[in-house]
Amino acid sequence: MKKLHNGTVKELKEIAKNTVCLRFEPKQSMKIKPGQFVSILCEGLTLRRPFSVADFDGHTVTVLFRQKGKGTKYLAGLKPGDEIDFTGPLGNGFDIQDKKALVIGAGIGIAPVYYLNKFLTQSHFVGAFNSEDEVPKVFEPDEKIIGGTILDHLERLITDYKPEIIYACGPSVVLKAISKLGVPSQLALEKVMACGIGVCKGCVIKIKKGDTVQNMTICHDGPVFEGGEIVWE
Amino acid sequence: MGMNVDLNGLTLKNPVIAASGTYGYNNEFDVFCDVSKLGATVTKAISLHPRPGNDWQRIFETDCGLINSIGLENVGIEKYLSTYQLINLSTIVNIAGSTVEEYLELAKICDKNGIKAIELNLSCPNVKCGCLEFGTDEEALYGLVSRVREIYSGHLTSKLTPNVTSIEKIAIAAEKAGANAISAINTVKALGLKLNYINGEFKKEYVRGGLSGKAVKPVALGAVERISKAVNIPVIGMGGIYTLEDVLEFFAVGAEAVQVGTANFTHPDTCERLVDELEAFMQTNGFATLDELKNKLRALPLAP
Repeated sequence: MKKLHNGTVKELKEIAKNTVCLRFEPKQSMKIKPGQFVSILCEGLTLRRPFSVADFDGHTVTVLFRQKGKGTKYLAGLKPGDEIDFTGPLGNGFDIQDKKALVIGAGIGIAPVYYLNKFLTQSHFVGAFNSEDEVPKVFEPDEKIIGGTILDHLERLITDYKPEIIYACGPSVVLKAISKLGVPSQLALEKVMACGIGVCKGCVIKIKKGDTVQNMTICHDGPVFEGGEIVWE
Repeated sequence: MGMNVDLNGLTLKNPVIAASGTYGYNNEFDVFCDVSKLGATVTKAISLHPRPGNDWQRIFETDCGLINSIGLENVGIEKYLSTYQLINLSTIVNIAGSTVEEYLELAKICDKNGIKAIELNLSCPNVKCGCLEFGTDEEALYGLVSRVREIYSGHLTSKLTPNVTSIEKIAIAAEKAGANAISAINTVKALGLKLNYINGEFKKEYVRGGLSGKAVKPVALGAVERISKAVNIPVIGMGGIYTLEDVLEFFAVGAEAVQVGTANFTHPDTCERLVDELEAFMQTNGFATLDELKNKLRALPLAP
């Protein structure tokens, strides 16, 4: 199946402070696994911008973003009916396991784990935000941590919930801490990307398998990696 | 219709080539477009032994361009040959060495394995030693290309760096050494730097590497024009090509074929689209052959 698509913007809405929800409908039918992403063309910019899929109902793709740079500024200016040019779905998603799961989304990292959580049978879904007004409506988790840092809550969450696996997305400082908790984890990473299919080697990360450390691309081999295997920069 | 192009020993069905480092080893871009429609694809630079490439951030977006510092990460020639079979594509293998001996060994392996065309990466500015020297020094380049020429019987393209005082002198040296063609330009040495002032401290994000994309097109056009005037072997032009207009501009200054690189990241179907658009343009406007079109473009007077 080709991975270059057109779609139509259905809705663009600010659903929390700094957080925009973009829904668009691809012209071609597709399947998207939780953790996979789409890379959207932003007019005038050299690189596409990758976004984890925050929801997909078989017809409409949802992504969330913070308006931070030129790419997201362009996207925030789109209107319903506008054409959208995107590649995807890209990358491998989360490996969905029938285990007791702790799901953590920090900040905008809520996006991929919200979609993932719909596929999990036994999970506790935690979202961490700087303030109450940053909690995106609709995407509300089971437990909200507001302010401070989620790092202060990790041990409590492990003790209280005793997860067999942790699924998470968020800033690398949070993911790094999660990877050291001694619980198997699947962490969704991000980095500036160019090709989106693993050929340009622009977004590599070092992964340790057994005794060997090798480069893997976040866009193609990832973006989800086993936490214990990541060699943190 | 006559889209064929003869590059002095290598005939391509059309002049649109995917540039090294942006298209993988083979037909990976088939997920985006029909790679078999291209004139050729150039592989990612391949070295004698596998290379892990550079650490840290490797790409940096600039206004109208991209800086990369991949550091020639690649699987090495052995794995390339065993894993990435050349399936019905016109593939040009880009090779990179850190010593003359490595280039010669690579050329020998390519020759033995029936690789029909190679492109010598003489210009990658990312690697701290090695590659840069060959492309910036006429004598070193002449020595290297002529020795590769003795070993390798297929089509040999020398890819030149723009990071020199006189690219035409380097091109003449490559021609004298027996290169079949010249491709230019490789990336322009650059620094991408982004400063953020957070909580009283400056945080920086930077990549030292090679600039490509729209930003370098005027540099590339200038270089291709000068090279074309200086040598008699075909020049393959590249640098910021996104549209048919860009392709025609490169033809106008003397390019026989073009390579498309960074545009593949922005619009991954660029190469296929350019083939279609060029064909449609020729058909609509009654150009029976590519030469006819190029001659008309080159007849346009440009100030000396």
